[in-house]
Amino acid sequence: MLPLAAEAGQVHLTSQTRIVAAVLALFFMLMILELIRRDRLQERYSVIWFVAGLGMLAGAAFPGLLEVVANLMGVRNTNVALFSIVLLLLLGLALNFSVIMSRQAAQITRLAQERAIEKALAEKRAAEGANGNGVSGEERLEAEKQSFES
Amino acid sequence: MRTLVFIPAWNEEDALPGVIADVRKAIPGADLLVVDDGSADATAERARESGALVASLPFNQGLGAALQTGYLYALRNGYDVCAHLDADGQHPAEEVARLLAEVTADRADLVIGSRYHAGAVAGSDDYRPTFSRRIGTSVFRFFLTLATRQRFTDTTSGMRAANRRVMALFSQHYSPDFAEIESLQLAVRQGLRVEELPVRMLERAGGSSFLTPLRSAFFIFKGLVVLLVGQFRPRHVETE
Repeated sequence: MLPLAAEAGQVHLTSQTRIVAAVLALFFMLMILELIRRDRLQERYSVIWFVAGLGMLAGAAFPGLLEVVANLMGVRNTNVALFSIVLLLLLGLALNFSVIMSRQAAQITRLAQERAIEKALAEKRAAEGANGNGVSGEERLEAEKQSFES
Repeated sequence: MRTLVFIPAWNEEDALPGVIADVRKAIPGADLLVVDDGSADATAERARESGALVASLPFNQGLGAALQTGYLYALRNGYDVCAHLDADGQHPAEEVARLLAEVTADRADLVIGSRYHAGAVAGSDDYRPTFSRRIGTSVFRFFLTLATRQRFTDTTSGMRAANRRVMALFSQHYSPDFAEIESLQLAVRQGLRVEELPVRMLERAGGSSFLTPLRSAFFIFKGLVVLLVGQFRPRHVETE
């Protein structure tokens, strides 16, 4: 919403657009809070969104900030600077999610494997018990202890 | 020597009982585990009826995850050697027994049954690979040989025998979607003795190959990326 109010090359924010932007940023952060409160979002994944909200708020409160950043980047057009920054941030976020997703996929796989093995072992024990030729309880405990240690 | 033979199976209710009977006959001393990779058909029931122990993954996780389940089971339950073969009936169990003998004699840590190895071609014309499979095979053969500096002829073979060093490695690190090739690269990079043995293979008894031409192309591309990335993985990961 910030670039809409901007002329090419420079940012001229009217106080109206600044208020709208600030309200949106606050609304955004409230939404994050509400999601956490309702257990729809975990705190550890919310930090990045609060930072984004604060960034929006800072942009609304200090319009000169963007020009400073654009100058630092060596970009003459502040709109281009803004879009570049936002695009890079979103790219980083998407990558971050892929990393989290990969980790969780590996965890789910391991969980499925552990469950499959546990169930197979339970079936085996049940079959051995039914046949009456199973190993004794002590031997079984010992085997289980070893399997946990390895 | 405690021996485990495990069979990863996904929707193989038709071929599986025959494979189990074959393993029982050819490798009578081994325990048998079927890893049912979230089959939608009666694979698990057929396996139980045939007297095999079944580890059922709650949803389909891919061949790599199924194989890793077998290695993890073997490691946890104190088996000295283990082997696995495909559930579709392409792998004669007597050939698996030969692989196991190599590992038992400690001539290698991991033995791959190769249908393309020089010794295999002469003795058998039972196995005729499709065109797309032949292309994929030669591409992977070339790049895996390049990556490991060791000659491999049958990189996607699902007939293998392994000892505890391999169990320890594969139960920790096993690529879920590119099981066969990446695992070979990994094993060689970790300094394990990997060996190919020429084996006889048969046409599949049931099920159908997942390799359509488009999928083959994607499969090859993905494989090359995986191999390239694998070259940058650290060597000599602590395994046990």
